[in-house]
Amino acid sequence: MHLRISSAGSAIVVMLLLGTILLITSIGYNSSILAFIGLGLVFWGAILLYVRPKEYARKALLEAVLSPSLATLNQMIQDLAYKGDATYLPPKYFADPETSKIYVSKQESATLPGPEQIQNYENQPLARTSQGLLITPPGIQLAKLLEKSLGTSFIKTDLKNLQQKLPKLFIEDLEIAENLEIQEENDPTEKKEDTAASGTQMKNTTIHAKITKPLYGNMLKDVEDPSQLASSIAYPVCSAIAIAITKATGKPVRITDTKSSEDGNVIETTYEIIED
Amino acid sequence: MDFPLSFWDISLWLAITAIILLVTSELISPYYGKTNLIINRKRLRNVALTFSTLFLVTVGIRIATIIISP
Repeated sequence: MHLRISSAGSAIVVMLLLGTILLITSIGYNSSILAFIGLGLVFWGAILLYVRPKEYARKALLEAVLSPSLATLNQMIQDLAYKGDATYLPPKYFADPETSKIYVSKQESATLPGPEQIQNYENQPLARTSQGLLITPPGIQLAKLLEKSLGTSFIKTDLKNLQQKLPKLFIEDLEIAENLEIQEENDPTEKKEDTAASGTQMKNTTIHAKITKPLYGNMLKDVEDPSQLASSIAYPVCSAIAIAITKATGKPVRITDTKSSEDGNVIETTYEIIED
Repeated sequence: MDFPLSFWDISLWLAITAIILLVTSELISPYYGKTNLIINRKRLRNVALTFSTLFLVTVGIRIATIIISP
């Protein structure tokens, strides 16, 4: 059996042992200097042992593992030639409210299907309906991790609460990104929805998220010619935010635009909350 | 064969350690963009706060001793 001790680990062991010896010696010699040194060594050894993270992976490794799956997703979306935006469906569309799915319609301005149509495909990771495509979002597990860190489900929060809590979760708790800004923009111009039956005018809320130095920022770096639809789905961080918004508001959320800087350090995403 | 540090020595040591830990904890905060340090920041902050509290307890004991003693 091979016993592997890292240099940091061996330094901690030396500090703890030396500190303990010095503390015992200080009692024998009644020396306060030795006691201070011993106490310091034991203390800093224990601190270093305590604050070491249990497990971590390099960012490049994470991206290398996930990148081929997203390249496949991009290719698949391009081959199917679906024209609609990626719409995240709220919990009311599913029998299990913790489920989350993206709906991509065949046509650009198609309306969303009803919950009864979606529920037939709820347990399938990928499903093609007559009018569109249902995909499990890449950020679903990240969203669950965010909920776990928050200590509550996004369903029990609201948009204002989300705007306050998400940056702390992203920056401080999970260290997913260096900065996250979420701004709500109420569209001053009222948009006409294709609700031919009612002919009513609906006002959609737009949310703009700017993520600085996120994990998985370079996901589409190796993907040749990523479509706008694929880039709006591909980033797990943007996907997790969309899931959070759709759960918090209980309304479908459409990703209308995703822009990433050349180096992948800044991602800007625009979400549109679709009023029912 | 007594332990050579008195209660007030420990109090001073706690104060210095708490300051170092609090300053370190603040400086490596992800809010300042220091996300490349591989340590458990939450645990470090908890230790810093614990030591600060312990120091304040020793100060409290000191004040209580002054008030109570004739």
